[in-house]
Amino acid sequence: MSYLDALTDISVADVKVDLMRTAYDNDRALLNTFDPRVVLLWTVLFMIVPWLFYDPRPLVVMLAAAFVLAALSQVSKYLLALLVFGQVTNIGFFVVAVPFVGGLLSAVGYLSSNLGRLTSGDDGAVTEAVAIVVAATQSGVHTALTSQEVGIDAVGAVLPFFLKLSIISVVSLAVFSAMSPQKISKGMLRLGIPRQLTFAIAYGYRMMPLLVEEYHALINSFRLRSELPEKTGLLRWRYFAYLLVLSIKAFYPLIFNVAKRARVTVEAMETKGFSRSLADPQSRTLRTQELRVRPRDVSFVFGSIAFVAALWVVV
Amino acid sequence: MGADGIQLRDVTFRYPGGDEPVLTGASLTIEPGTFTAIVGGNGSGKTTLCKTFNGLIPHFFDGSLTGTISVCGTSTRESNVAALSRSVGYVFQDFENQLVQETVRDDVEFAPLNYGLDDYTARATEALEAVGLAHLDDRFIWELSGGQQHLVALAGVLAMDPTFIVIDEPAAQLDPQHARQTYETLRRLHEQQGKTIVVIEHHTEFVADHCEDIVLVSDGTVAWKEPVAVGLNRLDDLLTNDIHPPQVTSIAHEIGEVAGSLDGDRYPVTVDEGVRAFDAAFERRADGGAEPIANGGRSHRAADHCRDGSRAGDPLVMLDGVAHGYPTLREGYTTVLEDLSVTLHADDRVALVGANGAGKSTLLRLITGIESPDEGRVTVLGRDTNEARPEELADDTVYIHQNPEEMFVEDTVRKDVAYYLESRGAPDVDQRVDDVIEYLDLAALADRDGRLLSLGQQRRASLAIGLATDPTIVLLDEPTGSLDLQSRREVTAMLEKAESRVETVIVASHDLQLVAAWADRVIVLDEGGVVGDGPPGAVFGDTELLASTGLRQPQVVELGDRLGATRPVLTSDEMVRLVGHERNSNSRHRRDERAVRTERRSTHGDDT
Repeated sequence: MSYLDALTDISVADVKVDLMRTAYDNDRALLNTFDPRVVLLWTVLFMIVPWLFYDPRPLVVMLAAAFVLAALSQVSKYLLALLVFGQVTNIGFFVVAVPFVGGLLSAVGYLSSNLGRLTSGDDGAVTEAVAIVVAATQSGVHTALTSQEVGIDAVGAVLPFFLKLSIISVVSLAVFSAMSPQKISKGMLRLGIPRQLTFAIAYGYRMMPLLVEEYHALINSFRLRSELPEKTGLLRWRYFAYLLVLSIKAFYPLIFNVAKRARVTVEAMETKGFSRSLADPQSRTLRTQELRVRPRDVSFVFGSIAFVAALWVVV
Repeated sequence: MGADGIQLRDVTFRYPGGDEPVLTGASLTIEPGTFTAIVGGNGSGKTTLCKTFNGLIPHFFDGSLTGTISVCGTSTRESNVAALSRSVGYVFQDFENQLVQETVRDDVEFAPLNYGLDDYTARATEALEAVGLAHLDDRFIWELSGGQQHLVALAGVLAMDPTFIVIDEPAAQLDPQHARQTYETLRRLHEQQGKTIVVIEHHTEFVADHCEDIVLVSDGTVAWKEPVAVGLNRLDDLLTNDIHPPQVTSIAHEIGEVAGSLDGDRYPVTVDEGVRAFDAAFERRADGGAEPIANGGRSHRAADHCRDGSRAGDPLVMLDGVAHGYPTLREGYTTVLEDLSVTLHADDRVALVGANGAGKSTLLRLITGIESPDEGRVTVLGRDTNEARPEELADDTVYIHQNPEEMFVEDTVRKDVAYYLESRGAPDVDQRVDDVIEYLDLAALADRDGRLLSLGQQRRASLAIGLATDPTIVLLDEPTGSLDLQSRREVTAMLEKAESRVETVIVASHDLQLVAAWADRVIVLDEGGVVGDGPPGAVFGDTELLASTGLRQPQVVELGDRLGATRPVLTSDEMVRLVGHERNSNSRHRRDERAVRTERRSTHGDDT
């Protein structure tokens, strides 16, 4: 019991710090050293490129390259693990869930179509019933096995699709966790995106740690006033279900408190001249004047295009 | 006078949707180059008053406003918030929501950039240097302590180089030493840069030490504006408005006009003045007052508890070799507590004191089991917290959060109070909830949302949530932060009430006056360990210990020390007995009267 507790206790603090590192520790991240406009355009480009390939092999290479980029951008290992988990279970769905449900349906179908034979009600009814159940199970298992083959085939068919989605997810994770929010918002501002939106991004980054802390405090508040489920159940599922319910409940007060904070923030923004700056071109110029596209930005873009072109030719 | 200052003439304001006006005919002039304190009870309208200075009222809150407000000769009606904010800077009470950018420098540059000022870098550098944060300019806001965040908010205001700076409760969330540093910074800005400073402040002791003028706001209007020494002498006005006068001044008032006043003219308002005023009376008492303290009663009880462990109550909480820390982004693993051992007994009134970040809250959370020690063992009522879940420990222990908002999870106070009982399927929930609500006088608030109450009411409601669990151990984190006199009295009374129902109360607090008056065991935390542990008399008498741990003596203790008392004087009543003795023995009649009065006061436990 206590080792499991130790695990959960440590991971809460560790996960928090790891996520913070992903979001905030950008000093050594490769993508943060380029001009943000270039990186944003590059990202858009690489959202499209994977769709030009159908063969899984170049896609696998690109995914590997995306993971290297993610590693250089210090993406949280927890986030990557979550992503991989999502993709694997998605694929697993085809191999496990489809045959299971298919088999079940076929067994139920067999049962219902043969139940009529039982209504005669003579002495052999029990043996007959057993026979029907056995036959139904056989039919179910048979359907499951054949549909599993189909499922595996289907996986083969959707694999490129999953690979493409994964490449896009990993690339965007890498980009948005590597670039500091100021850089993202400056880049967007220069690209003509409205100031309200670029500010919201920077502000979101500013508030996130606060919200994480507050959310954690609220969950603790709930825990100190709730009762544990008496029986923990198989694999302690009741206990985990209880924690899950608490973590959902804690969102409501969190949202309320966020709204309360926002009231002061909006007032403060007014005193800091935010609304005024929206109409002031000078303010926009000052904010983005240090952006420069240098040779290394250009070579980064052309380097990656060359890499993709090489894949296209070679494979 | 006044064309270049802030002028309010007969200002009445009602918030949109409000029934009652918050300001009713307020008139005030703030001259340039002054340092003014605005005082008033919770809900008196001080903050609303200050929000008229920079045009937030009426431009942001478009309620109904009558009267005229002008800043440097310009009517605020004809201007707007952005323009006014260039001459009137505002630091909000919950300043952390005022910081909207990610890093320190970005936040300070935010306003100058909004105004399109070319020299924004130089402005930010200068502002950061002025508040002493230049070395932290690339830090993330959330990495900073509360005190540092407050300074960032101040720097953000300074970057616009305003003539006036309004600061709403600069000292509320800081330990005594950091609060003093903040005031020193303000004083520097005032003296060296000629800034006009307006603070909203509950602690009149800061007002006495740092401000020039004091404005009393009462029921939405400006009752008066006086030089500080004069204003703080209007004790009746202050007390009826729930303002705590400086301890020195109330002591002088108790003693009476002859012995207690400065040059027979007015009461002293600072410790320096107090020493001058009381010196003569004190000098004549050869023994320096050892005897009256011994009769004080409370110190006696403390000594019983703490000097001899065998005579204390049963051990309830034991921490043995406890170490605890957390991972951080830049500094690796930070240790908060290190090899800490302490045992808390039944019937102890324990106060945990120490600077911001000394580990007080961490220690409380370890006792709740919400956090587990990295090393060592925490035992609560015989249960190892490593072996039990926080939900199980909560059967006997209750933790009242520093920020009461985190305690409200339902949409009415009543539901919040009932939450614990209902989730545990306790019998007669309604009856028990009614009991607690009545006990803490919350009937009027029971059906309101806890998060929308005033801070003082929130504290009361959060204690109700705690007491409904029928705990053995109550853990309170900063119960008096930013409360006015009335609300602080309520907290003290709550502590007394709570005690009749529970076995021990442990309070973590910066409020050393509360600690001196209430606790019988003070534990001083510093650098992750216990550096002092004893009755308040012993701890507050040790000036070196206090100085090295970011604490300051409460004013009355400092006064006693400077007057040469042989033992620390912990409460105003004790000091009154000491200083008043000489005069009282001259006048037998008055003395009897005083004795009755003192007796009555001390039975109420109303000496903070």
